Amino acid sequence: MTQDTKTQDQGLDRRDFFARTAAGGAGFLLGFAFDASTRAMEASGTEAIVNSYIKVGIDDSITILFGGCELGQGTMTGLAQIIAEDLMVDLNNVKVETALASSISYTTAGSGGMRNRYTRLRTAGAAARDMFVAAGAAAMAVPVAECIANNGKVIHQPTSNSVTYGSVATQAAALPVPLTPALVPVANFRYIGKPVPRIDIPSKVNGKAQFGIDVRLPNMAYAVIRQCPTLGGTLTSTPAKPASAIAVVPCTAQDNRGAQVAGTINAVAVVADNTWKAWQLSKSLSVKWTIPATSAAMDTAAINTQATSLMATGTPIVPENVGDVNGAFLGASKIVEATYSFPYLAHATLEPMNCTASVTPTSCEVWAPTQAANSVLATARAVTGLATNQIIVHTTYLGGGLGRKIEQDYISQAIQISKATGRPIKLWWPREEDFTHDVYRPTALVRVKAGIDLAGNIVSWYSRNVSPSILRQRGAALTTNDSQATDGLLALKYAMSSRKAEWVPNPAAVPVGFWRSVGHSINTYAVECMIDELAFAANLDPILYRQLLFASNPRAKALMDKADEVSQWRKTLPATRKWGTAFCESFGTMVAMVVECSAPTATSVKVHRVEIIVDCGFAVNPNSIEAQMQGGMVHGLAAALWGQIPFKLGAAQVKNFNNYRMLKLGDMPRVTVTIVNSGTPTGGAGEPATPPIGPAVANAWFRLTGTRIRSLPMFPTQSAMGGG
Amino acid sequence: MQMTLNVNGTNYPINVDETTPLLWVLRDVIGLTGTKYGCGIEVCWACSVMVNGQIEKSCKYEVKEAIGKKITTIEGLSADGLSHPAQKAWVECQVPQCGYCQSGVLMAMSIAMQGHTPTDALNEIKNLCVCGTYQRMREAAAVTKA
Repeated sequence: MTQDTKTQDQGLDRRDFFARTAAGGAGFLLGFAFDASTRAMEASGTEAIVNSYIKVGIDDSITILFGGCELGQGTMTGLAQIIAEDLMVDLNNVKVETALASSISYTTAGSGGMRNRYTRLRTAGAAARDMFVAAGAAAMAVPVAECIANNGKVIHQPTSNSVTYGSVATQAAALPVPLTPALVPVANFRYIGKPVPRIDIPSKVNGKAQFGIDVRLPNMAYAVIRQCPTLGGTLTSTPAKPASAIAVVPCTAQDNRGAQVAGTINAVAVVADNTWKAWQLSKSLSVKWTIPATSAAMDTAAINTQATSLMATGTPIVPENVGDVNGAFLGASKIVEATYSFPYLAHATLEPMNCTASVTPTSCEVWAPTQAANSVLATARAVTGLATNQIIVHTTYLGGGLGRKIEQDYISQAIQISKATGRPIKLWWPREEDFTHDVYRPTALVRVKAGIDLAGNIVSWYSRNVSPSILRQRGAALTTNDSQATDGLLALKYAMSSRKAEWVPNPAAVPVGFWRSVGHSINTYAVECMIDELAFAANLDPILYRQLLFASNPRAKALMDKADEVSQWRKTLPATRKWGTAFCESFGTMVAMVVECSAPTATSVKVHRVEIIVDCGFAVNPNSIEAQMQGGMVHGLAAALWGQIPFKLGAAQVKNFNNYRMLKLGDMPRVTVTIVNSGTPTGGAGEPATPPIGPAVANAWFRLTGTRIRSLPMFPTQSAMGGG
Repeated sequence: MQMTLNVNGTNYPINVDETTPLLWVLRDVIGLTGTKYGCGIEVCWACSVMVNGQIEKSCKYEVKEAIGKKITTIEGLSADGLSHPAQKAWVECQVPQCGYCQSGVLMAMSIAMQGHTPTDALNEIKNLCVCGTYQRMREAAAVTKA
């Protein structure tokens, strides 16, 4: 690593940090806000408005508490690497824990673990270090300038005398927080940029890692949810409690904005002394649901018809309009036009929705696998009427989040059930409830029309996306563009002399939410398939074609140059194998993929190899980046090949994994990840590998069969998954 | 029904309906939560445990079938929780992401290793990993000491 990371961080000021002694009046605690949009001023009341801490005990223990969550992306380790670097401590001696929720705990989304927080974290570590150096120098009665920090000690260089951080922790906590401490020079990095092993992995090979579903409390009962199978339906009347159940609790719905819908009861929970018993009793209940007439419209056939009509005649919002697109089409030598369709998708985290809550008249404690602990706090306030200082939220490990565990429905239910029964309960959703009551990746219809000149230059590019709006379902203004819907369709990196993008909201009421890479998961397929069609029309190698179109974008061009270099194998493939490529920029990161595929049958593809080239600016932990590239690709591949959730008269038609195929070992291609450190601001890693794999495979499929696949999933007849 | 289950060498007296799947007895009654629920229909293999040396999907395996048999869960795979050859290799190759499926993966892997090389054993298993850690599973199998 020769180049340091530039940063998008805003300048830090006094309000970003506070220092004080740890609980009990001894030791050191530096609290800091994780995001520039929030401030760390400690309130005079009981609400601590910070979301991360560096804690040093008088016993020299070092703990980093962070206000996010670990869902497998490696953030916990990445944060510790960054802080340990400037704090000048041994990473092996650092414990990392998730902090109890505060009102500004951050939402783990948008591939944001490292994005925009790099300098902030480094400054926090360096500030704490300088406070220890100052306190240590005072304790040794020597000048600060003669002291350095190393391995958790303050060392007086002329004499080699030293004191440990712990021994001066209490004094350090009383010092002012320096706002512009010197950061460790890149050449001296011990941890940043290194493939440091993940802190959480040992506990994940022996069953010790505690996921939300594993929480156990004294006197805890087990609750299982049963929700109206038709979306929008409500409980007609509360069914009688079976004799062997502890309780039957009707649960009030949450709307898509996270608020309780007063009087709308859409679920019933059965509470018993173990999960299985509660589940069997739940299935035995005779439940009557009241279904509103509007539910029937949540039907794939009807929604698709509506989308087709909106594509033809709907009034668009126009988030991008540069140059004279229509005029340029008149002068184009070739025009290519295609319409792509996308199904609803489920998140299908392997750990289903669950939450443990213990509510008393004066307190509420929640243990949740959540991507949004701050929202859990708000949900707890809303359900219980308690104040923030009466509520504690513990964030557990997540058995996958993928955007689903931002939502508050399962959290609200657990708190309601504990409140109603007056005892600690663990709420669990059977897989069937999880699939049929997701907040789904939106369906979409995307049309792209592009004109090129004789050399293949894009002279006009027109796109039109028809899709339900995640943000509007959550109360966004009806007149504005939903950036989540058009992500991946605007400000494309390809040179285009005119461009226009339109978005037409589809009012379909199926609840939609944030699915790994969100809008990019849709729009990138359309864009990258179209670029491939243009390359074919211009009779150019699709990698070379992208290199040409990136001529004025050095970062994208360099990435594609690297893709060309590492995929020379593509020129010597046997006749039965073809290759395809795609590119995507998302969350500040650029990814190119080159895949090698064959077609065992007319309706199935075998992906043999995936070459992933990634530029996330600066890889804080190459080990985690590589893992996220592999994982994000696998997620996108399963979705493109097989993923779909059809709806019939308001009810999701997929209920379990047997009809929602994902990759297993035998499906796994050989993956190579090449990391390019361009030194641009640090981008995300969790999502950017998901969008490009689908179009890369579709483009290979065209070379195998001559057929363009414009409707996802690519192979719907292969979407069953067996256990063998 | 009163019964005794032998799990990881310890006898546990329990009292549950005899048709309760072993998964829920392990997790809710005995408190061994390393074994995970994923699908409940024997498709994902997250709930894999060893019963008398054989792999069983505990989500469908009624507890009465396990009476008198030796049950091994992820908690009992090795004495210190890290020393089974597959556990060592999984840490060395940094396999888990979210980690939720890996108990089942390691149980299936360790059972398949009885009579197979680690690489062949891995090809026997059909666990679902939604995070997509399969490539590192292959790398780990390649360095697992048989």
